[in-house]
Amino acid sequence: MTDIASIEATVESFYKMRQTNSGTAELLVPSGLELHALIDAIDELIPAVREPDVTLSRRFFDSFDWRLFVAGVSLEWRFSESSASPYTAMSLFEDAQPARSTLCWRDLSESDAEPILQPLESEPGLLDEMPAGPVRERLAPLLEMRRLLPMVEVISQQTLVRLLNEDEKTVVRLVVEQNHFREPNAGRHGNLMCRLRLLSVRGYAEAFEQARLVLEKRLGLSVLDEPLAQEPLAQEALLAAGHRPGAYSTKLDQQLEPDQRADLATKQILRGLLETLEANLEGTRQNLDSEFLHDLRVATRRTRSALSQIKGVFPEALVVDFKQRFAWLQQITGPVRDLDVYLLDFPDMERRLPPALRSDLKPLHEQLVRLHAEAQRQLSQALGSAAFDSLLRDWHRFLDAEMPVSKAPTAEAVDLHPRARQAHPSHGPLPSDAELPGQALLPKQAAVPIKQVADQRIRKMLKRVRAEGRAITEDSPPEALHELRKSCKKLRYLMEFFQSLYPRDQIREQIKQTKLLLDNLGRFQDTAVQAQHLREHAESSVNASAGTSANAGANASAKPSVTSASTNASKNGLPPGTLLAMGALIGQLLNDQASARATFSDVFAAFDSAENAKRFKTLFATHDLCASAESARDKCGMPE
Amino acid sequence: MRDARVKLVTTLAVYSIKGGVGKTTTAVNLAYLAAAEGLRTLVWDLDPQGAASFFFRIKPKVKGGGKALLRDQGALDAAIKGTDFERLDLLPADFSYRHLDLRLGQSDKPRRQLERLLKPLRREYDLLLLDCPPGISTLSENVFAVADALLVPLIPSTLSIRTLEQLDAFLREKMPRRAPQLLPFFSMVDETKALHRTIMQDAPRQDLQILQSPIPEIDEIERMGLHRMPITAYAASEMAVGSYRALWREVKLVLSGEW
Ligand SMILES: Nc1ncnc2c1ncn2[C@@H]1O[C@H](COP(=O)(O)OP(=O)(O)OP(=O)(O)O)[C@@H](O)[C@H]1O
Ligand SMILES: [Mg+2]
Repeated sequence: MTDIASIEATVESFYKMRQTNSGTAELLVPSGLELHALIDAIDELIPAVREPDVTLSRRFFDSFDWRLFVAGVSLEWRFSESSASPYTAMSLFEDAQPARSTLCWRDLSESDAEPILQPLESEPGLLDEMPAGPVRERLAPLLEMRRLLPMVEVISQQTLVRLLNEDEKTVVRLVVEQNHFREPNAGRHGNLMCRLRLLSVRGYAEAFEQARLVLEKRLGLSVLDEPLAQEPLAQEALLAAGHRPGAYSTKLDQQLEPDQRADLATKQILRGLLETLEANLEGTRQNLDSEFLHDLRVATRRTRSALSQIKGVFPEALVVDFKQRFAWLQQITGPVRDLDVYLLDFPDMERRLPPALRSDLKPLHEQLVRLHAEAQRQLSQALGSAAFDSLLRDWHRFLDAEMPVSKAPTAEAVDLHPRARQAHPSHGPLPSDAELPGQALLPKQAAVPIKQVADQRIRKMLKRVRAEGRAITEDSPPEALHELRKSCKKLRYLMEFFQSLYPRDQIREQIKQTKLLLDNLGRFQDTAVQAQHLREHAESSVNASAGTSANAGANASAKPSVTSASTNASKNGLPPGTLLAMGALIGQLLNDQASARATFSDVFAAFDSAENAKRFKTLFATHDLCASAESARDKCGMPE
Repeated sequence: MRDARVKLVTTLAVYSIKGGVGKTTTAVNLAYLAAAEGLRTLVWDLDPQGAASFFFRIKPKVKGGGKALLRDQGALDAAIKGTDFERLDLLPADFSYRHLDLRLGQSDKPRRQLERLLKPLRREYDLLLLDCPPGISTLSENVFAVADALLVPLIPSTLSIRTLEQLDAFLREKMPRRAPQLLPFFSMVDETKALHRTIMQDAPRQDLQILQSPIPEIDEIERMGLHRMPITAYAASEMAVGSYRALWREVKLVLSGEW
């Protein structure tokens, strides 16, 4: 009997385990067991009808940073090559067209919860591109700006067998699933475990038990205690495809040893940052979503911070060189990030305006999108440049090089590739080759225990933050807060770099306290920058439409900004309505800025409180007696 | 597609005073179509003869009979059987249902018993479909009280139109505010018969709102009993499947327009 409908039904039942279908058992099929032979063997004991096989493909999606996996959710996009499509109607009044492909959300923490389905014709990607529906609704708070990426595809060939009673009525269903995985990017593929699932039909519990006994006792298959849910299938496939679900993190979690040599420990930190940077490179090049660039920039900023803040561990000339080159990287990635932030904030900016004015911002949005495309093109080019290539290559070589044990010239300083440095566009004056060997003696702090360096650096930065913060009064210019923010960030990064050297809860508390201060300063700064951007944008737009290119040059700010790219575009004129709406926005932003400014003194006072100071002090006082690098080597038995 | 999980559980009864007009045949086919579309559907075979149960190859037997069903919800839950089709379950007939009228009459709210029994099932199903025995009785009054709409098959004849009018009058009189909607449709239509054609042509002029999707008389439909499953499931006749699909579409349309 060919009964397509019942095949569909059975396929569907595989996913939709209803409460009423309480009984399920999953059995291990020994590899090498011939499927035909198995079904024939069953048929000899219980009348069985085999339906035509069904092939079903599922692509499992997650964000690059595994947000769904971490939240205990699996998301698959199902598309079937046969007619076996899931239906999604839930009441009599819904359009019950079977969707050819469906997005399926599964809450893995509730194993018997029904999956949430939403028809979706093309692969999911960014939230903005996805039509409204129950799955999108659930994805939104988790996914935010991240793109869903296909992590692994599972192709299942399902053989459906119905076991019958004397009326030839289906009383138990049996699904044998032969799974195959394919990794969408690298193209790796292979077989997964063969799964056999026994599904009860409501009201036929006895037949189910009987069938289970036959499979177990007569055919020698073993029933798994816990039925393998979809989760293990997804996981099995992910692992087989070479993924490590949940492994990506931008957290600085290098495990350092307190008496590790400072230069080696610093390299370890930098290596972790380089790993993050490189992990985000491809996504940044392709602009898969804005977080790739963001993470890449954070890794770059941290790298620069580590280079300049962990002082005296590497040869000075080298540090100067790499600092400049990473500054260049930070600079070329700036324009796209600025526009990303602008665009990400756009809905929020719209909400700030009275509804009647919102549509006036549309031309601005269109312009930003255009500018973004151009900036992204330039960024991709820069990331493909020889300068960037050699930066990565030199940086790798430096980080992987062995550290000298004595005050001999360092190998890597001599090794530095001069040509690579020349290829660098924004490269400052190079230290002459003659200077290098002299400076490349083992630096002062290189062999000092890292804990000592860490304590000292953090104490110093803390002192600076305190001094700068205390100097700020009601009348201080915005620059003073800006400077404080920079110092504060350095302090935060230092504590994060070295957090493994301190008691976990205590260091986290101090990082948290610092973050509170940073948040306040950030709000002040960010609203100021947003208002500034809007203003520059408006000005350059007016200039562009008036054709006064001379003026545009005068208005461009000293630092590269969003608008500098826009000044030479001729179609930049924004309608007056848009300019007025932008004006209204600037007013709003400045109000916000003023309120952040007003709360600053309270927030800083909390940071500067006696209790906080005490906590800092107990945490970062160096307890051992090693005061200098020399005595460190003498007393702590460091290798000479 | 509806976004939130707003559930509109619908209760439909296939009902007519007259016997042998195609009630059961219609009930099992519409149930199949609804389940295939994704609705979790329960058919309750209320006829002690158990024709609907037969079509799903399920024994017309309920432990403890109608008495047990009326007494406790557990018995009702235990009696429900899965059919061969996903999302489609059946509450089988039992020979004891022939005394159902008597039992209903003995309870304190004789016309609301079915309503009480079906209430908890609304959480599990999107559509409840009742296949009724012919005749008018306490059981049918229970059906009128619980159903959102009555699907009434009419074999085209002057008598059947008259019976429909009587039913309409009865409902208006007995349940002036909460009468189920009447959804009459022509059943077992033979286009070669002049009488069938005349009746169907005249029907729109009367105020009976007969649905526009007739079910023709087809041998293949009669042979459903040999296959023991809804013809819509094995699709032996395109015409038969097409006309049930059209009827189902119209029913949904009318009901959604109404509410
Ligand atoms: N469209 C049709 N074409 C041909 N035969 C039909 C059609 N519909 C029903 N029949 C046949 O007519 C007979 C009665 O149909 P059915 O059992 O569905 O009617 P019913 O109203 O449920 O009967 P009862 O009142 O006995 O419950 C059955 O033999 C059935 O096969
Ligand atoms: Mg009947």
